[in-house]
Amino acid sequence: MLLLAQALCGCTGETARPLSGLDRSLAMDGSSRDASLGDGVLALIQGRGGRERVALIDLVQQQPLPVPGLNRADAQPLSVAVDARGDRLALVRQRQGITELVLYRRPLASTESIPLVPPGVPRRVTLDPDGRTLAVEVSRDGIWQVDLVDLP
Amino acid sequence: MGNREDPALSSRARLLASVIASGGRRELLLQEQPSGRRLPVGPLSRWTPHQSPSLSRNGRYLALLVRQGDRSLPVLWDRASGTLHRLPLPMGQEARRIHLSPDARTLAIEVDRDGRDELRLFDLRGMLEPDLPSGLLLQGGGASSPQIP
Repeated sequence: MLLLAQALCGCTGETARPLSGLDRSLAMDGSSRDASLGDGVLALIQGRGGRERVALIDLVQQQPLPVPGLNRADAQPLSVAVDARGDRLALVRQRQGITELVLYRRPLASTESIPLVPPGVPRRVTLDPDGRTLAVEVSRDGIWQVDLVDLP
Repeated sequence: MGNREDPALSSRARLLASVIASGGRRELLLQEQPSGRRLPVGPLSRWTPHQSPSLSRNGRYLALLVRQGDRSLPVLWDRASGTLHRLPLPMGQEARRIHLSPDARTLAIEVDRDGRDELRLFDLRGMLEPDLPSGLLLQGGGASSPQIP
């Protein structure tokens, strides 16, 4: 651990302090990918037993936060993003052979489909810290583009 | 025309970072929005190819993966001071993606460790000034405070 702490030194000599306990806790829950950070919250896609699901973690309490209705048994999450407060999550998921972009409002536990105009296949998504605009990679005619979408 | 990938936004979508992939090159594009005006990427232009940009709330900090030899190197660029922080990982851990929290207090690096995706989380509070929402009281500062382009 000391080696890791020493390795992550910036040019100015200050260090980035590893949150090793949290790393270990996440590793015990399975694989972790597609992390997105808010202020004190972490959204990620966790894989275990051949299935993947979106998790939201309170980094201060080091506890999962409830996201009722976000994970569906018939959907495969591909990319997730969270706003600064952890209230809004944008998700690209595959469901019934269709790749879709959705916005999840955690206080309401509601999920809303976000249409792409013109139509395309979304891949990676990110939210601005305010949760009011998202940027998403979209494939159209074999070219990857970036769409900015203002959110209601 | 190349592919445009890996978008990242600052608060109110004022800045958009993305990667332009064309002809085997992958280069960071940093733009003001909505004008689309291209902004300089400082020392990062020497470290291509670029991957997985991430911006702090006001765009003061930009985290990115660059290549150093045959390894992926996480870096943090302070746009206000011009400082580039290199964050090499131990051998056996290859960085795949990087994400910076809006307040620049936490960094997440997704690593491939023996074929398994894992996260490495870091507390940056001893290393960076936070990038806080406007209206919050900051200690110090004044006329000599660094300005963000």
